Amino acid sequence: MPPRTRPSASTEPVSKSPVDLHPACVIDGTAQLTGTYLIRVGANTIIHPKARLNSSNGPITIGESCIISERCMLQAADTNGLVVGDAVSIECNAVVEGREVKEGTDVEVGNCKLCPMTEVAEQEVVPDYTVMYGYSERRIDASGSEGARRKFLDKHIEALKALIVSNPAKFKA
Amino acid sequence: MPAKQAKGEYIETDTGNKVSRKSIIVGSQNIILGGKTIIQAECTVRGDLRRTIPSSSSSSSNSANVAIAIGRYCFLSRSSILRPPCKILKGQFSYYPMKIGDHVFVGEGSVVEAAAVGNRVTIGKNCVIGKFSIIKDCVRIEDGTVIAPNTVIPTFSLVRGRPGLVVEELAETAPEKLDLKQLYRMI
Repeated sequence: MPPRTRPSASTEPVSKSPVDLHPACVIDGTAQLTGTYLIRVGANTIIHPKARLNSSNGPITIGESCIISERCMLQAADTNGLVVGDAVSIECNAVVEGREVKEGTDVEVGNCKLCPMTEVAEQEVVPDYTVMYGYSERRIDASGSEGARRKFLDKHIEALKALIVSNPAKFKA
Repeated sequence: MPAKQAKGEYIETDTGNKVSRKSIIVGSQNIILGGKTIIQAECTVRGDLRRTIPSSSSSSSNSANVAIAIGRYCFLSRSSILRPPCKILKGQFSYYPMKIGDHVFVGEGSVVEAAAVGNRVTIGKNCVIGKFSIIKDCVRIEDGTVIAPNTVIPTFSLVRGRPGLVVEELAETAPEKLDLKQLYRMI
């Protein structure tokens, strides 16, 4: 039997989306950028393997110093597009279909923090500094720890740059 | 046999590991599978997130590079994620190795970022095991549990909720029920 192509090679995006990748971003070759609208990625942003960005319904803009983890799904809901601000970290298995994720947000499995498995309803606006936890309960974080968080994120990005092999050429049309 | 293997969904290694062709194994040189471990389709194992600062203990250079060590008879269900935890220690950011014992079951869609998981641990569907949590031997984690980072779960516990808390103790006969040898033979 002839050797079969590896699944990663055979699952080429159905429709490659137009991309605008900043030269200083790190994007793994196995990330999936699909759709018809523009996907823009800022400097120092890390996109893990198998992260999925779908711009079929609208453009996606990702700011600087973001971390987009594996198996998360970013999809623009309509033609207004999806804007992810600077220093946002989106963890594994997260699904983001909103319009705007502001600066300094953590989405774990949204200055907001969405803990694992919490859900934000459609059309909902989550105010700044909200923490969502448990069964989608929420509170306002007044600890003022953005500085420490940003430091951590910068160091995290620094380390990931050394670990993840960037392959932006694969996404250029 | 070789022809049959080529057609099947799983690739079987010399030590009896069955790894799905559709699984996403990154950095396989940093992953140790103890044998007879099953990795199902779309399961993500991040071996590339290895330690970036040298280990303080003077171990050999080989063991310092291991990101994920998995024991025998483990079962990683569909679309589960294993990724090593990360933190800043003494001003330096690094990922740290993850160790998983024998007979560990990880349910569908669960994300495991634990530092250590003991023997005979069952993790249900859609669970999140936070960074640097330590799960001791013989633990059952129910579906949809979220375990906070740095949690230590003692032996013979039944864990449930968000955040995951110990709600019950398991019976002394639990270890036999948590054995995964049968499950391995089924695949």
